[in-house]
Amino acid sequence: MKNTGKKISLTNISVFILLGVFALFFILPFLWIISTSLKGDAQIFTIPPQWIPYTFHWENFTKVFDRMPFLIYLKNSVFITSITIVGTVLSSSLVAYAFGCLNWPGRNGLFILILATMMLPLQVIMIPLFVLFKEFGWLNSFKPLTIPAFFGGGAFNIFLLRQFFLTIPKDLLDSARIDGCSELRIYWNIVLPLAKPALATVAILTFMFSWNDFLGPLIYLSDKTKGTLALGLGMFVGQYVTEWSILMAASLLMMLPMILIFFFFQKYFIQGFTMSGLKE
Amino acid sequence: MKKRKTNQITRKHAFTGYLFASPWIVGFLIFGLYPIGISFYYSLCQYDILRIPQFIGLRNYEQLLFIDDYFWGSIWNTLFYTGLRVPLCIIGSLLLAVLVNNAIKGVKIFRTIFFIPSIVTGVVLSALWLWILNPQYGLINSFLAYLGIQGPLWLLDADWSKPSMVLMSLWSIGGGRMLVFLAALQGIPQHLYEVVELDGGGWWAKFRNVTIPMISPVIFLWTILEVIFSLQVFIEAYVMTKGGPLNSTLFYNLYLYNRAFEDFDMGYASALAWLLLLITLGITALQFKLSKKWVHY
Amino acid sequence: MWKKIKISGGIILTAALLLILFIPSSKDYNDGKIHIRYWYVTGAKEQIPYHIKKFNEIQDSIVVEPTPLPWNEHEKKILTSILSEDPPDVINLVTPVAKWASRMALTPLNDLLKKDLFDSSIFFQALWKEMNWQNRIFALPLYSNSYAFFYNKRLLREAGLNPENPPSSWEEVKKYAKILTQKNVQNHFKQMGFIPQYGNLQTSILMAWQLGAKFLINNGTEVDLENYQMVRALKWEVEYFNDYPLNEVSSFMAGFGFADQHGFISEKVAMMVLDNTFIDQIKLYNPNLEYGVSVIPTFDGYKTASSSGSWWVAIPRGSKNIEAAWEFIKFSVKEETQLEESASQQEILFPANQFAANNSSFNKGNEKIKTLVDMMEYAHSPTIIPLAHDIFWREFLGARERALHKIQKPEVALKQAEGIIQNQLNQAIEYDSYVRSKMNFETISN
Repeated sequence: MKNTGKKISLTNISVFILLGVFALFFILPFLWIISTSLKGDAQIFTIPPQWIPYTFHWENFTKVFDRMPFLIYLKNSVFITSITIVGTVLSSSLVAYAFGCLNWPGRNGLFILILATMMLPLQVIMIPLFVLFKEFGWLNSFKPLTIPAFFGGGAFNIFLLRQFFLTIPKDLLDSARIDGCSELRIYWNIVLPLAKPALATVAILTFMFSWNDFLGPLIYLSDKTKGTLALGLGMFVGQYVTEWSILMAASLLMMLPMILIFFFFQKYFIQGFTMSGLKE
Repeated sequence: MKKRKTNQITRKHAFTGYLFASPWIVGFLIFGLYPIGISFYYSLCQYDILRIPQFIGLRNYEQLLFIDDYFWGSIWNTLFYTGLRVPLCIIGSLLLAVLVNNAIKGVKIFRTIFFIPSIVTGVVLSALWLWILNPQYGLINSFLAYLGIQGPLWLLDADWSKPSMVLMSLWSIGGGRMLVFLAALQGIPQHLYEVVELDGGGWWAKFRNVTIPMISPVIFLWTILEVIFSLQVFIEAYVMTKGGPLNSTLFYNLYLYNRAFEDFDMGYASALAWLLLLITLGITALQFKLSKKWVHY
Repeated sequence: MWKKIKISGGIILTAALLLILFIPSSKDYNDGKIHIRYWYVTGAKEQIPYHIKKFNEIQDSIVVEPTPLPWNEHEKKILTSILSEDPPDVINLVTPVAKWASRMALTPLNDLLKKDLFDSSIFFQALWKEMNWQNRIFALPLYSNSYAFFYNKRLLREAGLNPENPPSSWEEVKKYAKILTQKNVQNHFKQMGFIPQYGNLQTSILMAWQLGAKFLINNGTEVDLENYQMVRALKWEVEYFNDYPLNEVSSFMAGFGFADQHGFISEKVAMMVLDNTFIDQIKLYNPNLEYGVSVIPTFDGYKTASSSGSWWVAIPRGSKNIEAAWEFIKFSVKEETQLEESASQQEILFPANQFAANNSSFNKGNEKIKTLVDMMEYAHSPTIIPLAHDIFWREFLGARERALHKIQKPEVALKQAEGIIQNQLNQAIEYDSYVRSKMNFETISN
């Protein structure tokens, strides 16, 4: 279903129109977030909805920097998220390689176990896990938020990468083995490069999860100097009153890096050569 | 002689396999075994987190299965939500991926626009949709009023509350899931399409005979994952409806949360958690069985 | 070549980042002062509470370090901090004291109270009672909310009613409300007189209290939700909505928000039971609103009633600086401190110290504030079933919803709720005695 797209065909036009319609549905609510971030608190929930603010309150954005130590939180968030991404991509790809490209006794049973760990709600694990980290002496530090990422990176990512690795033709791997390549080299030189889109997806999803994580930083970080952006955002939500404009402004600032990262990682999705010619 | 060699090979394979899987195994032993094990023990206890657990055997489970109406009600709510949401989200993301898999002008911008909704999370997402679905001044009802139609009460109506939440999750079909579908679509060898073209097939034939089978592993993956996640839906209901109206959005995980952290009845909540694990395992196993019919490796 | 450099660079960077994780952070102060940590739930506007600043100013052997907590999930934060055995020294919360006290999460204050001959009569007694669990005191009340009946004088006048004569009975409220309700051309509500389900207080519970209902009987072991007072009150509410279709009311209420979007402040609802913070909110968001504040209406022949939740300060179990924390808490609840604090904040924080509340510099001669202070005399505790608090309110609200939507008759709905709450209470009591038998309560609570 891939178009080379150089010619302006009917298909291209209809695709473009469809894309446009969908884009409208997706962007409209987001525009409201932008609009709200520029309003004074009074105009937000009017009937009918007000799209253009009466006056543009650009200071809502500067207020964010006054109300929370934005740069410190940014530094912490970047630190935690980067380490988490590195750890997750590395370890989940290693583990996924074992399940997707290797054959060994007990593989299927272990896979079911990994899958099952996703099925137990986090709520009942959270407290014992906290106590565990307390025994390690890891409380009030970034360790609980980062180090576990190096140990498998989570069942979700392993499953995702495994499915992707399964589509890599076995002949490719076998011929490398016959040539005398070690599994590690096959993993590093053959499988990983082929799986760039999948790895990019894991990176993006891990970024989103870690960047937006509120509960983890809440219970594991106690110093004001150790807060993250997600925590800072939580301060704008009160018991009854929420400061909408500044909340929206702050979340836009928080979302910006993610949008940039996504735009940057898109190049991995343009290279679609992968495995054509090797499948029979 | 041959048997010894096979054993050697098997052992080597086992060694390599376990070596590569060791990060997860070690992680599980360190970070997983204790919390998971103890949560099972707690499910057999009366325990309020701050004091010591009191062993009560199967009382929590008995109460759950035979006396607790909320248990069954929340199961129904959760299954309804899952059954509605998963097919719609998978089809939606697939559709978008197909659309966005064209190298036409500006596709990068479209992809970004489709992706942006999925990064709006937590409080902001809930606040946004509380506004969109507001019966008085919300985006949807204002638009309908413009057309002269009176919109429903959405989240405030027991019949519309669950569909409203499914609608909300449809807003993020352009996210990571779509990316994965996109990557999978890009991995389909062109010559397979050419074969269908030579046979005189149009885009539907291509779609049905090449695209779907070729990416079926990925579709299967996401169906499994989305079912697991949907069964644990929590945060949207917690922030937006708190289970109402009339308990129509009291999902399983929300009920669990109430018991765990409002009532401080961690024992009961743990029992709920383990039952959910069993239910999810069952549904997933079923899906694996059925997958043999349509998933093509 | 470049690839190798990139990869080794990446490895070194990652290793460096990981090493940073393991740098120990120093936390000791060498200034000879006692540092106590104070965690409080922040209001939406960030402002370091006055009593913290003042305390740090007037003495220099103790330094209070405040940390505001986000409202979202703050209970989890406190919970985990107690589990960590390194909790803050003082916490400021709003959930029932009993919820934490009954679970041994707080340090009992009896010895400290005795040592300092602390005079607890300075508090509104309704609030002081909340601080008690099984004959020990676990917290001091800091702020409270007082409720009264707010009514829009202009709307009353325009409807032909006497604005100086607000309703004093529920029958009158019903009559007034009918006259004050108006619909617009599309036959939707434009203005309503009174909406029982709008506001923080549950009108039917309020009524049940007025009629003399006791929800927890038999020495705290039996739940009596389906008592005749509660049934009568809930029936009143169900019948009230016979005049106003529930769907339309819900739709009307969906347009309400906070601040200037509040139903009463935006003059869409003529009469409401509201708390003291609304005096400031009205001044801020609709200063031209002509309104009056009166005693909450009741049934003929019965005393009125109100609710008395409070913000309280306590010392978590495991704090290492109990004496210093106690000094700070004592200071915070003094009449002087509370008066100065209330003067310095924008919003009126209703002091738990009744002398502060009755002081003329607090009420500034404002009759409305005086009415609110007077209402404290009739306050009941919202912690109706201490050992099953949340489940009580969930079940009650569920029963109420079912009754209002005519899914069940009020008695039936209440009976069903009562059964569930009773079950939970029984288990809680049994568990409590189990814990007592296993743990030496005296040693745990130093």
